[in-house]
Amino acid sequence: MSFLKTSQIKSPWLMHFDCGSCNGCDIETLACLTPVYDVERFGIINVGNPRHADVLVVTGTVNPRNAQILKNIYSQMPDPKLVIAVGACGCSGGVFRDAPNVLGGVDKVIPVDVYVPGCPAKPEAIMDAVVTGLGKLKGILEAS
Amino acid sequence: MNLTTFYLAVAGLILAPLLGGLVAGVDRVVTARLQSRMGPPLMQPFYDVGKLWSKVIPPASNWQGLFVRWALVASLASDVLLAAGADVLMCFFVQAASASFVALGAFCGSSPYSKLGAQRELFQLLAYEPVFLVAILCMAKVSGAFDAYSFMNASAQPLLFKMPLIVPGLLFVVLVKLRKSPFDISASHHMHQEVVRGVYTDYAGRDFALLEIAHWADVVVVLWICSFLWATSVVSMVATAAVFLFAALVIDNVSARLTWRHMLKVVAPISLVLATANLLWLYME
Ligand code: SF4
Repeated sequence: MSFLKTSQIKSPWLMHFDCGSCNGCDIETLACLTPVYDVERFGIINVGNPRHADVLVVTGTVNPRNAQILKNIYSQMPDPKLVIAVGACGCSGGVFRDAPNVLGGVDKVIPVDVYVPGCPAKPEAIMDAVVTGLGKLKGILEAS
Repeated sequence: MNLTTFYLAVAGLILAPLLGGLVAGVDRVVTARLQSRMGPPLMQPFYDVGKLWSKVIPPASNWQGLFVRWALVASLASDVLLAAGADVLMCFFVQAASASFVALGAFCGSSPYSKLGAQRELFQLLAYEPVFLVAILCMAKVSGAFDAYSFMNASAQPLLFKMPLIVPGLLFVVLVKLRKSPFDISASHHMHQEVVRGVYTDYAGRDFALLEIAHWADVVVVLWICSFLWATSVVSMVATAAVFLFAALVIDNVSARLTWRHMLKVVAPISLVLATANLLWLYME
């Protein structure tokens, strides 16, 4: 693979969006940045700007109000991009799936590449999801 | 201009950005170790730039591409000037022009964070440029000329002994130029800050990659000028630059909550007074 393609896999900048999470999954996502898990060793940086992001990590359920914001953030990210749905809520709506204001999981609004189960999802599982997502991206880049 | 100067200038043009990338890598590894983390690989900044280069995204404003390219040209030109032994004052002004182009590009964007970042970039210029200028004047006073080669072989005795008071000022310049401290500086190196990415917010894809290279070139210029303080040999110059870099990393890690107001109101005046006192002392000697 060329240097440019390799660098796309070695430098995933991650943007975290809290859709409608109870904050359980958010805390676990941020825990990945701490010295215990240290995701920076994979080149991962947590950025606050969708224009700089390669991976969108979404926690929590989608409702009619935040669905538009989620779409907006997704559309501002440059291609190729990955979406990771974190937690039972992000995957399917979790315990809130029958609530009247809940549309369901993240995949009701934007395409999701990797699902991370758990309530809340473990930091190890979130990191594993990013690595799995990068494997998928590698396949796409090699094929292109 | 003779042929050797030409070769040196070309070497400066090619090596400076590479060295800057390496400095950025060392910075990230050392910072991680200071925080008891493992940190990314040394080559991570190069992967980051490669990644940004391969991302295609429409610019936030049509003017930005132009300003980014001018900023890159100015930053690389300042390295070339130093390598070719030209006037250090000229190099200083060209380097300041690069920072202004970045701010102008950010003003063209639509994001309020980008505009706020651009304003802070201008404040920042106001804070460190006078200190930097006085430091260069001190060096020129002792070495008797303004060209880089005179600075590098001024005397057997390192310049540092004649100008100890400019060290805090230079350290301040290194901190700001590395985009390290204060944490809410125009475009903090730390990705999460109160104005998202400040001046860099609206730049993305290839433009951002070019800006990153311009930043590396800037860092090399500043560290290079710092290394004039102990320019008795190449090894001592590299060691001096490394000491400045390491000191900046330590200060950044122990002062996580310094704000830009503190920089403007306290750090800038104190370091300017110290540097000016040193200059007066040199003139009265
Ligand atoms: S999956 Fe559990 S921890 Fe995560 S947001 Fe939903 S309820 Fe909270």
